[in-house]
Amino acid sequence: MEKLKLLSLYGDFRKDLVYIEKELERSLNSSSPIIRQASLHLLRAGGKRIRPIFVILSSKFGNYSLKDVAKVAVSLELVHMASLVHDDVIDDSDMRRGLETVRARWDNRIAMYTGDFIFSRALTSIGEIEIPAVHQLLAETMLEICKGEVIQIDHQRKTDQTIRDYLRRIKRKTALLLSSSCELGALVSGADPANVRKLRRFGYFAGMAFQIVDDILDITSTDEELGKPAGSDLLNGHLTLPILYIKDDVNFQPYMERSFDGTLTESDREEMLTYIRSTEAIQMAQAVSDLYLQKAMDEISALPDGDANAKKAFMQISAFIGRRKY
Amino acid sequence: METQKIKLHIENYIGEVENAIREPIVDRDVGRIAIDAVKAFILLLPMLNGERWNNRLHTASIAVGAVHAAFDAHDSINVYDATSKQQQLTVLSGDYFSGIHYRLLASLPEFGFIRSLSETIGQINETKTIFHDQLPDGPEKLIETVRIIEAGCITDFLYTFGFAQYVPLASAALSLLWFDEGNADYNSVSDKRSPHTMNTADTDHAIFQLHAEMQKALDTADYLQPFLQRKIRNLVTPLIGKLN
Repeated sequence: MEKLKLLSLYGDFRKDLVYIEKELERSLNSSSPIIRQASLHLLRAGGKRIRPIFVILSSKFGNYSLKDVAKVAVSLELVHMASLVHDDVIDDSDMRRGLETVRARWDNRIAMYTGDFIFSRALTSIGEIEIPAVHQLLAETMLEICKGEVIQIDHQRKTDQTIRDYLRRIKRKTALLLSSSCELGALVSGADPANVRKLRRFGYFAGMAFQIVDDILDITSTDEELGKPAGSDLLNGHLTLPILYIKDDVNFQPYMERSFDGTLTESDREEMLTYIRSTEAIQMAQAVSDLYLQKAMDEISALPDGDANAKKAFMQISAFIGRRKY
Repeated sequence: METQKIKLHIENYIGEVENAIREPIVDRDVGRIAIDAVKAFILLLPMLNGERWNNRLHTASIAVGAVHAAFDAHDSINVYDATSKQQQLTVLSGDYFSGIHYRLLASLPEFGFIRSLSETIGQINETKTIFHDQLPDGPEKLIETVRIIEAGCITDFLYTFGFAQYVPLASAALSLLWFDEGNADYNSVSDKRSPHTMNTADTDHAIFQLHAEMQKALDTADYLQPFLQRKIRNLVTPLIGKLN
């Protein structure tokens, strides 16, 4: 239902997205039957396609060429997809978006190769764009995402983290790729540098809000809605914003300790989630997300009206990000 | 003297790859990945042979080293359990090294090589997946598989930068060396897929065929200085024998 709502916001750009979806499918065609199956499996699992739509919308502020835009959009979605396949190995996850992960269906090694294959196809796609700044930005983005993940692993189960640490981490983990989606879309269409900067900032603020909401949903949603066990972040040792707000709560600490040492039972998990939901941690985290969303909206408002549909879609998608349920 | 020079060049190159891919947390908790000296030797063969070698080529060669480091990191992931911090960081280090290779090529920028190398990396991963799933059927298939995985990136580099004449030699040498079980570096294809796990007859046939190919490539390598020819012969005959 939620996904349908989001897709309806893409309405004016649906044709372009369908083209990109076909290009994604074409990019993942492989001589290896396992990679072919794994890639189809991933494509079928869907996803919000936020990165491709941000590329499309940002390109509308320059000279729009669907062929070039698609190369960038496909590349960014593939980078995202590949990192998810590897993340599932790191987190030992069996389910994602309600479907078995590649590592669960095959094994870790197949997941590593599939992820690497998808990364390579991302570069093959964007390799067609001969604009140095595009490649330099994407390369830096990929490295920063990795550094963010390395830091996340290093911070696992460390309770002395600050909110600042968390914000820095999600900047790299999520906001940067959305920010780069906007910047790359604008760059490839030759948009005015001032607008490129506004779009980059929009992507960053929207990305921060997106990740905070994601972290909230990990606690407030059901297993069915998430397609994986609720509370997975904490079970994997990741302290998200709502958790940082209650980590010193004496009623919560025993749950956290058991999450970290692997002794949390199924009923403990239910109890823990109910407890977190009853505190103010969720509202406090939501308030931070709202602040970022407001900043994102301000950046969009400051853009020229060149393509009114793109501005409108950016606004609507931002509003959706703030209130989404999946 | 020449041997010392080769050794120095390779050590410098390895040092530069290590510097390029350095990541403090990974270094601290996983340690540095070993850069393959024999692969470095084959990659740098044109330079050691006195061919024109500029900063562009040097940077691109380091990018290839970063790709190999990424492969090695990901080949070391446990098939069923990668939940230890060390394994988790190894997954990410492979992605990081891969990002470094792209950044190096983007800094030039070398669009043609970005495209061809990404195609090659894709093909290598496809081949690894097939190899991981089932053993190659017969010596021809085995040679083809090992050639793609072991020599793919280096032969792509040689083609792209105008050293196509080195390709037959590089391809045969790198493939042949994979069968050298005494050389741990050459078991990187997959931990389940070492020469040891192959059908012995297929392996023997493949070695024989690659050796003949290697011999032919050396016999016609009049472009290659004699000391390098000798080095390669020492390296591949009789399989065991490493760079001094």
